[in-house]
Amino acid sequence: MDIVLGIRLKDATLIATSKAFTRGISILKDSDDKTLNLNKKNVIAITGESGDTINFAEYIKGNVQLKGLREGHEMESDEIASFVRHELARSLRSRSPYQVNLLVAGVNDKEEGFLSMIDYIGTRCDLPYAAHGYAAFYTMSLLDHHYREDISLDDGLKLLKLCEEELNKRMPMDFKGLNVKIVDKEGIKVIDF
Amino acid sequence: MSRRYDSRTTIFSPEGRLYQVEYALEAIAHAGTTLAILSPKEGIVLLAERKIISKLLESSSNSEKIYKINDQTIVSVAGLTADAEILIDRMRNDCQQYLKIYNKLPNTMQVVNKVCDFKQGYTQFGGLRPFGVSFLFAGYDSLNGFQLYSSNPSGNYSGWLATSIGENSSSVQTLLKQELNANSTESHNDITLDDALKIALKVLSKTSDNTHLSADKLELASLSLQSNTNKPTIKLYTPKEIDNLLNLHDLSKKEEE
Amino acid sequence: MSGYDSALSIFSPDGHVFQVEYALEAVKRGTCAVGVKGEETVVLACERRTTLKLQDPRITPTKINKIDYHVQLAFAGLNADARILIDKARVEAQSHKLTLEDPVSVEYLTRYVAGVQQKYTQSGGARPFGISTLIAGFDENDKIPKLYQTEPSGIYSAWKAQSIGKNSKTVREFLEKNYPKDELLNESETIKLAIKALLEVVQTGAKNIEICVMKPGIDPRSMSNEEIEVIVKEIEDEKAAEAEKNKPRTTE
Repeated sequence: MDIVLGIRLKDATLIATSKAFTRGISILKDSDDKTLNLNKKNVIAITGESGDTINFAEYIKGNVQLKGLREGHEMESDEIASFVRHELARSLRSRSPYQVNLLVAGVNDKEEGFLSMIDYIGTRCDLPYAAHGYAAFYTMSLLDHHYREDISLDDGLKLLKLCEEELNKRMPMDFKGLNVKIVDKEGIKVIDF
Repeated sequence: MSRRYDSRTTIFSPEGRLYQVEYALEAIAHAGTTLAILSPKEGIVLLAERKIISKLLESSSNSEKIYKINDQTIVSVAGLTADAEILIDRMRNDCQQYLKIYNKLPNTMQVVNKVCDFKQGYTQFGGLRPFGVSFLFAGYDSLNGFQLYSSNPSGNYSGWLATSIGENSSSVQTLLKQELNANSTESHNDITLDDALKIALKVLSKTSDNTHLSADKLELASLSLQSNTNKPTIKLYTPKEIDNLLNLHDLSKKEEE
Repeated sequence: MSGYDSALSIFSPDGHVFQVEYALEAVKRGTCAVGVKGEETVVLACERRTTLKLQDPRITPTKINKIDYHVQLAFAGLNADARILIDKARVEAQSHKLTLEDPVSVEYLTRYVAGVQQKYTQSGGARPFGISTLIAGFDENDKIPKLYQTEPSGIYSAWKAQSIGKNSKTVREFLEKNYPKDELLNESETIKLAIKALLEVVQTGAKNIEICVMKPGIDPRSMSNEEIEVIVKEIEDEKAAEAEKNKPRTTE
């Protein structure tokens, strides 16, 4: 029941993940970070089988950084999304597929926000806002209603707050609040939320 | 004396040289000339001269000097054609493989780098001779715009504004330098694609062993951006179009009296 | 020289591995590279082969390459060989990070590069790499600059300042004479010493010099031609002043 949410702004992307680390019916930790910075302008948020998540995320990061160093130019968001999808589709057809769902958030070379949702069967969809798992049930209507193409950072954060409130109200489990990160042309920052 | 180091595969000579690689370069020095000129803003021109062996040879429709690698890259070849085909095949394949993974064609430098790494392997491992091929690469990508590279059997490559490989390549380069200086009073940046075309034909007409250029001995291609879509486009000139160009620039075979 | 140098890499009766020695000759034919350490700075500088008039400097490969975000490698010798070795080093750096979480230390990376080079002197069917490298950088959470050298034989060593490639002996002698014994160089002094050393063998000045400055925790910085030009000018002025100063004395 991990929560992974993303909202794309004009020149940045917001990403929010739940802080609870759960195992079975227990919460083991309330400061978990389900995101990993791939390079200066791209971050992924990842959920799924624990163990698979970290392993896959770090594997992707290693490859993204290697390619950046080889070519003297950091990988761009859409290349990363495409690469991640390719790897998951490949993994799905192997003996031990990765069972992970993720969001790729970043800003591209034109300094526009970028958000892509990818699941463990290798489905990829670039979206203005996205959520995985149960969180999507409770937040999609809010996002549908309040999202605007030119939404500002403040309004984006307000919208995230609304989502958090709704989740707190409806989810049967305490997810210990949200970790929020913003990616813009300056890089990736954690936001006090 | 040097016999001992050239009969085997590629190993160092006492002076630290690789004779096999140097001999492969020699093979290229006898191949038909090919040259390229970059117009930084508008595109790249590739021009190559084929060596026709017999009049009976069917002038095939497929080219033997200039090849398309993908929608934004063309190469011209000097050296052993059979070796070249192997490398070209690889490049085409690599590019599509890359497209499959990243949903985008590789940047030109990556295409060049990859095939050159492959070439390097044949200079280091035993039992293999190096590839007897040099290439000129004309490419476009969003990162560096139009780019022109040359590579050789050692696996080295470098970037150029204009260059040439094959027979007479050094005199072609000298002429290119002169022509390009004469043409642009400002800088190389302002050379148009039409200028580049004209200079390419002119330079080749001067250095060619044939007294007159004619379309059946030439291959010509250009890479530019489509004006409406801004997408790279490749033009392979037909013999007829080449003839027209030669006439236009007064370089064609003189009418027999 | 009786057949013991033509098979790939075997000992001759008097204990030479000729292919390795010949590989060193290939290094000596390559353009010169210099590395200099200062206090919290390390600088790599290279001679750029005279760029031909029609060459495009924007896209011609450079001789100083990033291995990881904190390590740079400069080489002398065969360019194509270097590319292969650099790529191996880059893969190792990322693979190290993937398994151990921490980035490679500069020494670890040097040991790896030297190890690869050694392997090619002993395994059948391949010739050695015709390159020497200078590897420079900083370890994680550390401000001490690191500078290492590797050779075709697989030897590696740590240096305060070192040069490889063509005329490297002249440059090394210069560095030995001019590297301060007691105090540490600051950033601008380090850069200046590296350029000064390179100018011993590079006649054409700033446009044929490529230089990269590294400081702890900051991205390595390549200096522009204009910046180098200023320092070259400074050095030339100093030399001129020195000559001026010496002149009257000798006449007195």
